[in-house]
Amino acid sequence: MTAVVRTEGLTKFYGDRRGLEDLDLEIRPGEVFGYLGPNGAGKTTTIRLILDVIRPTRGRVTVLGTDPRDARVRGRIGYLPGELALEGRERARDYLAFLGGVRGGVSRERIGALAERLEADLSAPMGRLSKGNKQKVGLIQAFMHEPEFLILDEPTSGLDPLVQQEFLAMVREVRASGRTVLMSSHVLAEVENVSDRVGIVRAGRLVTVEDIAALREKAVRLVEFHFDAPVPREAFEGLAGVRDLRVEGASVRCTIDGRPDALVKAAARFTMVHMVCAEPDLEEIFLTYYSEEGEHHAGAGV
Amino acid sequence: MPVLVSKSLRDYRRSLAGWTVGITAFFALYLSFYPSITKDPELYGRAALAKFPGAMRDLMGGLEDFTSGIGYLHSLVYQLFGPMLFVVCAAILGNRALAQPEESGTLELTVTLPVDRRRLVFERFAALALGLLGLAVVTFLAVWVLSSAVDMNVAFDRILAGHTGILLLSLLFGTLALAVGAATGRRGIAMAVVGVVAVGGYVVESMGRNVDAIAWLRWISPFHYYLDGRPLYQGFPTGDYLVLAGATVVLLVTAILAFDRRDVGV
Repeated sequence: MTAVVRTEGLTKFYGDRRGLEDLDLEIRPGEVFGYLGPNGAGKTTTIRLILDVIRPTRGRVTVLGTDPRDARVRGRIGYLPGELALEGRERARDYLAFLGGVRGGVSRERIGALAERLEADLSAPMGRLSKGNKQKVGLIQAFMHEPEFLILDEPTSGLDPLVQQEFLAMVREVRASGRTVLMSSHVLAEVENVSDRVGIVRAGRLVTVEDIAALREKAVRLVEFHFDAPVPREAFEGLAGVRDLRVEGASVRCTIDGRPDALVKAAARFTMVHMVCAEPDLEEIFLTYYSEEGEHHAGAGV
Repeated sequence: MPVLVSKSLRDYRRSLAGWTVGITAFFALYLSFYPSITKDPELYGRAALAKFPGAMRDLMGGLEDFTSGIGYLHSLVYQLFGPMLFVVCAAILGNRALAQPEESGTLELTVTLPVDRRRLVFERFAALALGLLGLAVVTFLAVWVLSSAVDMNVAFDRILAGHTGILLLSLLFGTLALAVGAATGRRGIAMAVVGVVAVGGYVVESMGRNVDAIAWLRWISPFHYYLDGRPLYQGFPTGDYLVLAGATVVLLVTAILAFDRRDVGV
C-alpha cells in the first residue's frame, strides 16, 4: 500500500522566516491523522504544500502517489482551508454547484443531504453568512465529492458542539469507508476521539508522531480505590508508575503513569467496594511535548 | 463554455452591467448635444477652439474640429473619455481575475481545484476578454444608432474601427492588471501600474506630438497604437492594432508563467 502523503525533508521558508523544516511524514491509507500544534507551528504550511498552493523551499512531497503539481490529483482530495473565505452575493448553493462541477459533478441531492445534516443555510448570500455557517459550507464542499483523501485545517472552529459531534460522525464514516483524513487542530481534545495517530508540530518541526492508543498508554491517570477496611500504605508503595500516593483509612488515591497492572494486582489483595479511574488526560502529554520544544520558539510562522 | 470562464463571467455580470449602462449613458449624453453644436458653428468652430492653450488642446487630442460629425465623435468619445472609461473598467475586471480573490482569500479554494494553474489564468483572461467584448458590442451599437439618429454622417466601419481600438486598448490594460496581479498578488500594485501606464501613456502620446523631448517615448505608449492611426478618420490601422494584440498576448503569457511559479496567498 502506498502512502497517501509522503514527505521527505520538506522545508518551507518565507524569506528568512521558517515555516516548516525537514518534515518527514507518512500518512497511511485509511487512517485519520491528527496534526497538532499551536498556532503558527507549521500546520497550515504543511497542508498548503501538500495541495501545491505554495511550493517547497527544499524536499519532496507526494500525494496519492503523485506530485501535487499534477492538477488531476486535487480532484481526489477534499480540502477545508483554515481561513475559509466566502463572500459576495453568490448563494452557497450556486458556489457548491460550481465547485462540484469542476470536480467532476456532485448531485444536488448529495449537497442537500449534507446541508440538512449540518443544518447549513445554502440560500443566503455567502457574504452574509455567520462564521459557523461559512464553516458548514466549507465542510460540505470538502466532503461532497466523496474524495479519497480529506484535508481539514482546523475543521471545528466556529462550529457549535452539536454540529461538532455530527462532523466527527462524518469523519468516522469516511474512515469506515476506507478513506483517509488529515485533520489539523491546536486543541488535542478536538481530534483525539477520531484520530488513529497524531503528529505534533512545533516551531516548524515535527516533534513526534504517536498512535493515539500508545499515547493513552503513556498518559497519566488518576485512580481511586475504596476498600471495606483500612489498608496499609506499604502495600502500595514503590509500585511501577505510581505517584502522588495518598492512603487515608480505607481509600487509596494515586496517579498512574503507563500500565496499571502492578497497581491493580496490589489492590486486588484487599476487598474493593468502589473504584474510579479517570480518562487519561492527553492534553497534559500534549503540553509536555509543547513545553519541551517550547524553549526555542524561533520565528516560525503560518 | 469552460466552467471557470462562465463562473467568472457570472461574478463580473453586475459590474459589467453597471459599466455598460454607465458608458452607454455617457456616450448618449454627449451625442445628444451634437445637434445644438452644429446649429451654432461660430461658437464652437475652429476659431473658438483656437482660444484654448496649446498644451490643453494637445491633451484633448488637438481639438481641431468640433463641428463635423467625425471631429465631434472623435474628440468626445474616441480620443479620451471612451478609452479611459474602458481602461478603468478593464483594470477593475483584470484585478478581479487573481489579485482581488487572492487578497480576500477566495483564491485558496480555487487553486486547489483540479484545474491547472495555467488554465486558470487563461480562463480568467478569456472571461475578461469576453466581458470587455460584450461591453464593446453594446456601446458600439449605441454609438452607431445614436450617431445616425443625430445625422453625424460617420461611416459604420469607421465607428467599428474606433471601437475595435478601444476594445484592444482596454484588453491590453486589463491584461496588464491581470499580469501584475498574477505576479504579485496585490491589487493595489496592479492598479498603480495600470494608472501610471495609462495616464503616462496618454500624456506622452498626446503631448509628444508637439514636444520633441518626449516624442521618442510615444512608441512605448499603448495609446500611440490606438490614437496615432486616427481610426475614425482613416479606418483600421491594422499594423498598430496588431501591436496592441501582440502586447496583450505577451502580457498574458507573462501572467501565466508568473502565476504558475509562485506561492499563492502568502
